[in-house]
Amino acid sequence: MIHFNDVTKIYNSNVKAIENMNFTVEEGELVIMLGPSGCGKTTLLRMVNQLESITKGDIMLNGKSVWHSNKIEMRRNIGYVIQSNGLFPNMNIEDNAMIVPNLLGWDRKKMRDRFNMLMELVGLNPDEYRKRYPHELSGGQQQRVGVARALAADPPVMLMDEPFGALDPIIRTHLQEEFLQIQKELKKTILFVSHDIDEAVKMADKIALLKGGKMMQYAEPARMLNKPANSFVAEFVGQDRVLKSMSLYTVRDLANALTLKPVIESPDSQNINENLSLRVAISKILNQEADQLIVENDNGTRKGSITLDLIEQFLHREIKESV
Amino acid sequence: MCSGGDLIVNLIEYFVSNFTFILGYTWDHIKLVGLAIIIAIVIGVPLGIYCSVNKYAASTILQIASIMMTIPSLALFGIMIPVLSLINEGIGTLPAIIALVLYSQLPIIRNTYTAINNVDPDIRDAANGIGLTTFQRLIKVELPNAMPLIMAGIRTATVLNIGVGAIATLIGAGGLGGIIYQGILRTNNTMILAGAIAVAVLALIADLFLRLIENLFTPKGVKK
Amino acid sequence: MDRTNKTIALIIKLIFWALLIAFFVWAFANNMFSKIWEQPDTFLRLLGEHITIVLLSGAAAVLLAVPLGIFVTRPKFRKSEWLIVGIANLGQTIPSLAVLALAMGFLGIGISAAVVALFVYSLLPILQNTIAGLDSVDDNMIDAAKGMGLTNTQILWKIELPNALTSIIAGVRTALVINIGTAALAYLIGAGGLGVWIFTGIRLFDNAFLMSGAVPVTLLAIVIDYLFKWLQFALVPKGLRLARKAQNS
Ligand SMILES: Nc1ncnc2c1ncn2[C@@H]1O[C@H](COP(=O)(O)OP(=O)(O)O)[C@@H](O)[C@H]1O
Ligand SMILES: [Mg+2]
Repeated sequence: MIHFNDVTKIYNSNVKAIENMNFTVEEGELVIMLGPSGCGKTTLLRMVNQLESITKGDIMLNGKSVWHSNKIEMRRNIGYVIQSNGLFPNMNIEDNAMIVPNLLGWDRKKMRDRFNMLMELVGLNPDEYRKRYPHELSGGQQQRVGVARALAADPPVMLMDEPFGALDPIIRTHLQEEFLQIQKELKKTILFVSHDIDEAVKMADKIALLKGGKMMQYAEPARMLNKPANSFVAEFVGQDRVLKSMSLYTVRDLANALTLKPVIESPDSQNINENLSLRVAISKILNQEADQLIVENDNGTRKGSITLDLIEQFLHREIKESV
Repeated sequence: MCSGGDLIVNLIEYFVSNFTFILGYTWDHIKLVGLAIIIAIVIGVPLGIYCSVNKYAASTILQIASIMMTIPSLALFGIMIPVLSLINEGIGTLPAIIALVLYSQLPIIRNTYTAINNVDPDIRDAANGIGLTTFQRLIKVELPNAMPLIMAGIRTATVLNIGVGAIATLIGAGGLGGIIYQGILRTNNTMILAGAIAVAVLALIADLFLRLIENLFTPKGVKK
Repeated sequence: MDRTNKTIALIIKLIFWALLIAFFVWAFANNMFSKIWEQPDTFLRLLGEHITIVLLSGAAAVLLAVPLGIFVTRPKFRKSEWLIVGIANLGQTIPSLAVLALAMGFLGIGISAAVVALFVYSLLPILQNTIAGLDSVDDNMIDAAKGMGLTNTQILWKIELPNALTSIIAGVRTALVINIGTAALAYLIGAGGLGVWIFTGIRLFDNAFLMSGAVPVTLLAIVIDYLFKWLQFALVPKGLRLARKAQNS
């Protein structure tokens, strides 16, 4: 758990980078800090592991004030991933990934096992990459090793500053999905910086939207898209926020909220699993020019059908609730 | 041995009373280095340009130039004296100029070569695209863009040569090294220091002057 | 086109070697290295003095300049860095001959004055390269190391120094090559070295003395240069070599 208690940061006694910040990242949650460049995301992140000092207020890490912790010891219990150049070019991949366990004095066998396990986790063959050097790896592979390195000593908390920001879109998407899988398994407490709304919507449990060092809104992605707290948030999440939010609702959410239409048998009717998102549903309807989709659960039982009208009705309802 | 204060007073006195004499030595020094640099440019820049079109020759030429650079100056003079005495020029200005020209080659060739190679490939493509010949491209596009770096190489070579020029005195080429050498013969610290300061100041002024020229030569658009 | 280019490069190389061989054949034919065979003891003594001056001053300079370079690049002292770099730059415009002469002025004639002069003179390139090497270490990398809980000492030894090593060795290489040349002038302040023969040759206009002194000094400089080029390759972590290669291509 990371708790920000009235945190203020002033650089050089005149640049106010963060102002009276109050929020909590719960245990096992992935929180993404979002906002325009220069709004203070990196500053806030770096105050957690004390790479920046706190001017006023305090940050509690699992109940302990970061002010009063031993910096070195505390940092070894926090995974830290940055956008670029995080790997040390003078060390091979294994030494890079195992640097913290090495400092903690783990024995060779334990380190080797840990390395193998982490590399599998991030989707790289441990024996193939062990003795290679960072510059022999692609950007995406380097960033995977960066994630593995941050996880090495199994820290309960991770800080990630635009970890996928320097990668090209296809690889970025790929790594985002992989990382979500890892997080599902490991349930770390993660504070993650991004400037990409799509990344945030896709990955975050909660989004913290900052502007000029102040919190604009702290909420679940769906809530932020459908119920922006003010015009800045509405503008930042974009004109297409309704479309974006559709990927956050499943067909089941709709079925729970509204009554499904009766199934009308026709030769070209299509089925859809209730666990898929509304975004998939709408694409299917538009692509196939089908009027309706038959909703099935995992067992193949039909629960009714959905149409464009019904989806529209659902979204209206969700958005209206928010205003 | 004298105190620091005395030394400075002596120095000032020395500079004042030997003003014309020092000026003469300085002028000799400038002539020696200046002539060498002009010859070095005439040889080095074309070689650098050639290197940029033939990468095999580039590695050979740069290797040879860097070996030249490694040869200690007194040793180079020592080797050239017997060779040049074949044409009766063993001692004097000729070996000094040849040595300075050789030492200048590495910075000038390397910088020219790097500068031309560093010209943005897109700019080169664009030049080809509008139908410039290789020669036109060189004159109109590559050289102007490469000019600052080439000038920097010439500057490095000049500053280096002003220092080496001080040693050329020992083989009778004249210049400011003469003041230092006479200081050694008479164990006169004031003269040694005066000579050292004169060489250092000359190097600094040359550096500054060439930086100014570098700035003039830099096309407006290339300036950072 | 490629083949013509290769051929031209080959011809240049051949001309260079031919000139070199011609030079040595001519020199041997005219007995120009005779002093080495005639006075082997003197030769070895002069060579020994030469190497002693260079190595003593070089080693002392490394021992002072590298720690000094580390010291001024620490965050607390960064503000004084420009001053040190400025002095190092300025100092190198003073001709080596003058540095030797001044050392003699203050310490009298002899080998110790030469060692001190060369020591002071070689501090500059080593210091300059140590600072440049440490400065070129990516701040992001140091940030990552800090964020993972490395102490400042660990960061220095595990990250900064290995990454600055190429540059530091390059500085030592430059300093030693310059020193070998400057040590040839040490004769002028009574410190011996192979310069003794070169100056004798100049004074007596004796080619045998000139060549027997000048050619070994040249070979010494080239050998040291290559040795350190190799050291640069051998001591630098493999990953950094790859990094540099990736950058250059
Ligand atoms: N070391 C620093 N010294 C002074 N000002 C800084 C420093 N680091 C960041 N700032 C300022 O603090 C503000 C927030 O910066 P940052 O946290 O890097 O923003 P973000 O990560 O959201 O782009 C910016 O105005 C920036 O200029
Ligand atoms: Mg940032």
